[in-house]
Amino acid sequence: MTEFRDIRLPEGLCADTEKWLEGKFDSLESFLVVLLQEITKNDGRKFDEAEQQLVEQRLKDLGYM
Amino acid sequence: MNKSSLVLVTVDCLRADRIGSAGPRLSVTPTLDALAQESAVFSDAIVTGAPTYFSFPGIFASRHALTLGRDLLGIAPGEVTLPVVMRDAGYRTAGFTAGNPYLTDRYGYDQGFGEFHDFMDAPAQIAATAADEPGSQFNRLLAKMSRATTVTAAAYDELYFWYCQWRSANDKSLDELRRYPAADVIVRKASTWLNEVKSDRFFLWIHLMDPHHPYYPPQEALRSVGASEIDGRRARFLNSFWNRGDIGARRLQSFREEIISLYDAGVYWADRQIGSLVSTLKKLGLWDETILVATADHGEEFLEHGARYHSPENLPEQLLRVPLLIRAPGQMPQRIAETFSLLHLAPTLLQGLGLKSPSNFQGHACWQAVRDGTYVAETAISECLDSCNNPLHIEDRMLPRLLAVRDGKLKLVIRFANKTEQLYDLSTDPNERMPLPADAMPEQRRRLWKTAAAHLTKAEQSRNLEFSVRARVRELQYSNFGGKELTLSQA
Repeated sequence: MTEFRDIRLPEGLCADTEKWLEGKFDSLESFLVVLLQEITKNDGRKFDEAEQQLVEQRLKDLGYM
Repeated sequence: MNKSSLVLVTVDCLRADRIGSAGPRLSVTPTLDALAQESAVFSDAIVTGAPTYFSFPGIFASRHALTLGRDLLGIAPGEVTLPVVMRDAGYRTAGFTAGNPYLTDRYGYDQGFGEFHDFMDAPAQIAATAADEPGSQFNRLLAKMSRATTVTAAAYDELYFWYCQWRSANDKSLDELRRYPAADVIVRKASTWLNEVKSDRFFLWIHLMDPHHPYYPPQEALRSVGASEIDGRRARFLNSFWNRGDIGARRLQSFREEIISLYDAGVYWADRQIGSLVSTLKKLGLWDETILVATADHGEEFLEHGARYHSPENLPEQLLRVPLLIRAPGQMPQRIAETFSLLHLAPTLLQGLGLKSPSNFQGHACWQAVRDGTYVAETAISECLDSCNNPLHIEDRMLPRLLAVRDGKLKLVIRFANKTEQLYDLSTDPNERMPLPADAMPEQRRRLWKTAAAHLTKAEQSRNLEFSVRARVRELQYSNFGGKELTLSQA
C-alpha cells in the first residue's frame, strides 16, 4: 500500500471512535483500513453471477431463451 | 384492529411425519394432534432453507436466507421482521430460545423483542467423550501410521471408537448429558412472562430444541414412547456411534431404530410442554384471544438418503417438509393439502392480526384465502449453501448454492457446485429414490428452471448494501475484529 487518499470525517465521530478503540488499534487510520478490508473482501457476488449464468445457459439448452 | 395475541412455537428438527398418525408409529404428539382438531393444518408446509441459519430468515423476515447476500447471516441489523412489526404495533414481545447458537442476538434474532432470552448462558452439560480429548503422543503416532492403508485405517478407527467408549464409560443421567435446556425450562420462563403481560396484547416466540441431536431426552419421555430400556449410558453410546464418520450407512442402520426412539422422545417432550403452555394460556384466560402457531425450522434425516442430522448437503423432503398448524379463536378447522412455503407465514399471520406487512417481506398474506378456501399453492423455493455446516465465518460461506424448486408434486434440485440437476415426481416417487430421466417432462422442467432464474434475479435486485455493511460490522464486532490489531504499515 503505497498511495494514500485523504478523507474528511466529522471531528466528534473521530474522537469518539478513538476513545472506543483505545487499546485495540493503534490509530483510527489502522482501524478504518482493517474495517474496509474486511467489508470488501469475500464478495459473494462472483457466486451469484456464476449461478445466474448457469441458469441462463440451462434455459437456453432447454430451448426457453 | 384485531385484538388477538400471537404465540409462535418453533421446534428444531421436527419432521412433518412425526405429527399425529402420519407415520406407522404411535403418535408422539398428542397435544399437537388435539390442537389440529381446531386448527388450519398445512400438510405440505415447506421451509425456505435448511438448517436453522438458512431457514429462519424465511420465518421471521419473509425472505430467503441468501436474498441479502452470502455475507449476511441471520437477520440484518435494522431489518424489519415479524417481531419488529408486532412491537411497533404496540404488542408486548418476548422470545425464549433453547440455546440454539444461530438464534441469538449475534444474528439479529433479538430484534423486536422487549424481552429476549437465548439460554446460551445455561450451564450446558457437555458430554465430553474420550474421542474429544487430545490424544496421547503415542496415539497420534499410531493414528498417523494407520493411515498407510485403508484396512489399517479402518481397524484403527474401530479400535479407537471402542477404546473411547470403554475409557469414558460413566453413569451420567440423561439430564446430565443433555446439551440444551429442555422444553419445560423454556415453557416455564414463557409462562412467567405471560403472567406478567396478561392484560396486554402480546407476541410470544419459543424455540424448542428437544428433538435436536445429541439426542438426550428426559427418561420420562423415553418411558412414554415405549423406550424405557434406554438409559443415560446407552443413550451416550448410541449418540457416539451415530456420530461416527468412519463407517457407512449399513453399519449405522443397526442402531437407527434406537436413535429414532431417542428423537421421538424429544418430540414427545416438546409436544407435552406445548400442552403445558396451552394450559397456562387457558388458566390466564388468554386462550380465546390467542392465535397459536406451531411449526419447525427444518426436519431431520435418519439415513433415508444416507445422511444423518440436517446437514445442507442435500435438500430432501425429510428436511424441507415441516408441520404447520395455525389455531385461531373462532376459526373452523381446515386441512390444506396444497404446498405452503413458510415464506408466506409472517405476512399471513400479520393479516390474521389485522396488521400490514412491511414492504421488504417477499411472501404474501394468505390468511384470508385460507379462511375462504380459495388458497392456491405457489411454487416453493428452498435454498442453502452447499454443505455449509459451519457458517460462523464469512469465508466459510463463500460456497455455491443448493436450490430446490417445488411446484406441486414436482421438485427440481439444482446443485450449482457441480452443475447437476435432479427432477423428481413426488406423486410417484415420494422418497426421491429415482430422479426422472434428463429428457422427461421438458415443459415442466423448463418452468421450474424459469422459476429458479427469477428467484436468482430477484435476490440480485434485493441486495441492500447498508444491511450488508451493518451485518459485516456486527460480525466483526463479535469476532473482536478477528483478533486483528494491525498498524497501518502492516495493513
